[in-house]
Amino acid sequence: MASHYDVIVIGTGLTESITAAALSKAGFTVAHIDENLYYGGDEASLDLDDLDQWAKKRSAASDKPLSSPYLQAQAEKFVSISAVASPPPHSRQYSVSLLPSLIPSTGPFIASLIASGVSRYGGYKLLERVAIYHSAGLVKNVPGSKEDVFKSKDLSLVEKRRLMRFLLFAAGDFAGSKELQGHEDAPFIDFLRTTFSLSMDVATAITYALAFCSAASDPTLPALTRIHHYLRSSGRYGNSPFLVGHYGGAGEIVQGFCRVSAVVGGVCILARNILSIKQSPPPEGHPQPTYVVELEGFDEPLTSRLIISAPDYTPFLSNGTSQDNTHSSPPPFSSRRVARGVIVIDHPIYFPFLAPPSSDSDPIVGASVSTESMITPVDTAVLVFPPSFLPDGSSTTAAHAFITGAGSMSAPVGIVNISLPLDGAGSSPPDAKAILTPYVNATMALTKRPSSGDVVSDPIFTLFYIQNQLLPSNSENEVTPPLPDLETCFTTPPISPTLSECADSAAMNAEKLFWKAVNALKGHPTHTPGQGEEIPEGQDLVEIESFWPPLETIVDDEGDESW
Amino acid sequence: MADSASGATDKSVQVKLVLLGEAAVGKSSIVLRFVSNEFQANKEPTIGAAFLTQKCRLEDRVLRYEIWDTAGQERFHSLAPMYYRNAQAAVVVYDVTKAASLEKAKSWVKELQRQANPNIVIALAGNKVDLVQPSASTSGTTSSESEDEADDATATPEETAGGEQAESLRQVPRDEAEAYAKEAGLLFFETSAKTGEGIVEIFTEIAKKIPIEHILASTRGAGRPGAGGRPGAPDGGVTLDENAAKGKDACNC
Ligand SMILES: Nc1nc2c(ncn2[C@@H]2O[C@H](COP(=O)(O)OP(=O)(O)O)[C@@H](O)[C@H]2O)c(=O)[nH]1
Ligand SMILES: [Mg+2]
Repeated sequence: MASHYDVIVIGTGLTESITAAALSKAGFTVAHIDENLYYGGDEASLDLDDLDQWAKKRSAASDKPLSSPYLQAQAEKFVSISAVASPPPHSRQYSVSLLPSLIPSTGPFIASLIASGVSRYGGYKLLERVAIYHSAGLVKNVPGSKEDVFKSKDLSLVEKRRLMRFLLFAAGDFAGSKELQGHEDAPFIDFLRTTFSLSMDVATAITYALAFCSAASDPTLPALTRIHHYLRSSGRYGNSPFLVGHYGGAGEIVQGFCRVSAVVGGVCILARNILSIKQSPPPEGHPQPTYVVELEGFDEPLTSRLIISAPDYTPFLSNGTSQDNTHSSPPPFSSRRVARGVIVIDHPIYFPFLAPPSSDSDPIVGASVSTESMITPVDTAVLVFPPSFLPDGSSTTAAHAFITGAGSMSAPVGIVNISLPLDGAGSSPPDAKAILTPYVNATMALTKRPSSGDVVSDPIFTLFYIQNQLLPSNSENEVTPPLPDLETCFTTPPISPTLSECADSAAMNAEKLFWKAVNALKGHPTHTPGQGEEIPEGQDLVEIESFWPPLETIVDDEGDESW
Repeated sequence: MADSASGATDKSVQVKLVLLGEAAVGKSSIVLRFVSNEFQANKEPTIGAAFLTQKCRLEDRVLRYEIWDTAGQERFHSLAPMYYRNAQAAVVVYDVTKAASLEKAKSWVKELQRQANPNIVIALAGNKVDLVQPSASTSGTTSSESEDEADDATATPEETAGGEQAESLRQVPRDEAEAYAKEAGLLFFETSAKTGEGIVEIFTEIAKKIPIEHILASTRGAGRPGAGGRPGAPDGGVTLDENAAKGKDACNC
């Protein structure tokens, strides 16, 4: 095995894995490293035993100051981890996603899935439903499309017209419009109320269930941009704008990107602790330094011209990399705490729904519960809890419960991922379990088949924790070197924590990193043949024109061909 | 969907087959021999594709193998769970000249029994038998290429070893491996990717053992695990590739 690479990518999260695949496909030699036993980093999908281990390691790491710097960083990131009861048997039938994600049917992520060939590896399912929590055992449907609005029997005509006007506006070219001007940063929900005269109910539904906002203060422009994107995404594969990946989504897809990298020669190394990352001075005639990465159990270090690293591995970089740069810059990103809960259920969830939101003055009297929803459980769905909708819940932020069932292969019956962003940044970590319990109870109330004698069931497994999540910055130049003046060492920027946005933001980050790397490597061919592995002739001279090169096409007619 | 009764033969069943085994035992070489009837001596064959497909015809049925090679991910224990998912067949390979590789094969079999479909068909293949056979140099598949290029560490003992010497290279007696395979319920073969011996047999014997009816039933059904690799459209499944994704509207059949 060669020990010198163009790039060493550290961490196998979504962004790192897409980047590694793209760089490998572009012809660079890549080593891809992760200390965990599994692919995916903070976006992994884990079976219940591995999830149990994941939790135990992170809650114990704080007691053991000598554990790896990565694990220490993880222990600071994931706090208030609830004690886990031992997982139910057949742990492997479950894929729990650490970062639940919806994949918009158009956009950078799905484009990368298809262009890289990763879409061939796994399965996908349309998101079936989005609903808003109404009251114990009842939800309200969200009209997600113009068709839904037309069909709705429960919106007043005036309300319909206003909603249609908004949807047309959002689907159209609103940049620079008079409606938007001056309101870009205003709270989105206020914008809906004042500019489009929408009722509180409708504005709430749009804000939290169409734009997936997390608080009433969320600004207008990004929310509007998301809705625009989603309205244009629906119809590509079906009614919903969103897809859900099988077996836990992102964490499974990551494995596909890592495999793509390996198939074209990338080397994947899991479960090895990093001992050190050092920088050796530029070799004769080279303007750039070489990185030397020591791995546990490896006699020889790996070396590379470039390093791309997940943030949790950067303690290595700032301690060991540079000889003279001890100066530490302030962290470039703000962060937010998100309470997360994983609930494994053995009874399916029903969405018995009331009429879609109607106008303020129009009380929901006599609204009938749909009969279809009484017998058909939901398989992939999102249940939205706007602020103040739950008596014991948050009054300022919205929770999203993402339900994935047998149809998306994540569990024999189902898994619910609940996430609730927290306000403020108090110093003492809040109790994740206490904060999320009302949401769990409200969700579990939906396991009772409507108007049946069933009782509400209990989860068969739960895990709660608080994640200190970095937020993407708005500035263009997100990909900053962790050390000044080092243009050959990048940390991956954070991805959006929003359910509907995280996958796309990972793909966009990856593309930026890809071009940064290509620029940094350009013009300095690594591989003088004879050193390290053999490379196809002329590879270093190939001009890189696109993020993904064209895929080999599928010739699928006569038997014996390969693809 | 449409042509139901007529197309009994052209309606081939897709079977995902994965290769497993220690690095350098010849997994990629076996795939290459089976798919394109080639062999590259002293060189890691480049597969470089997501997976390879190959039809396999039996008297009464046609299978289309979708063959997944490890892409080197076995080296640092970095094979992902995704690799095993929905595999209906596996070829676990060891090298007859390396005793340790059989032990490794056994642990892969265990891993499969833990991770994969319960009804997966597993074949054990003791590869590189050409090295332990009395001078089979008559086959002459690769005489010229094998000369150049200095061996690297992973390469196998020199293949020019003559008769008695050759047999002494064997570290895994056939009986021993066969007994283990029988006990563990595996198909068993000794193979040579170099000469082609035993290669096609692995795949045809597996084909005979694959519960096709079961696969067809489960693919048509609710798309439970065990259904073919990528879902056609069972249970709201979606095919992402534009070309393949026809009939996009509605149809929630
Ligand atoms: N003599 C001999 N060499 C083989 C045979 N199969 C593979 N090899 C050689 O063994 C080495 C490793 O083979 P490879 O297919 O890359 O193994 P893999 O790592 O398991 O995929 C290469 O040098 C091959 O040429 C075989 O049947 N006989
Ligand atoms: Mg190989």
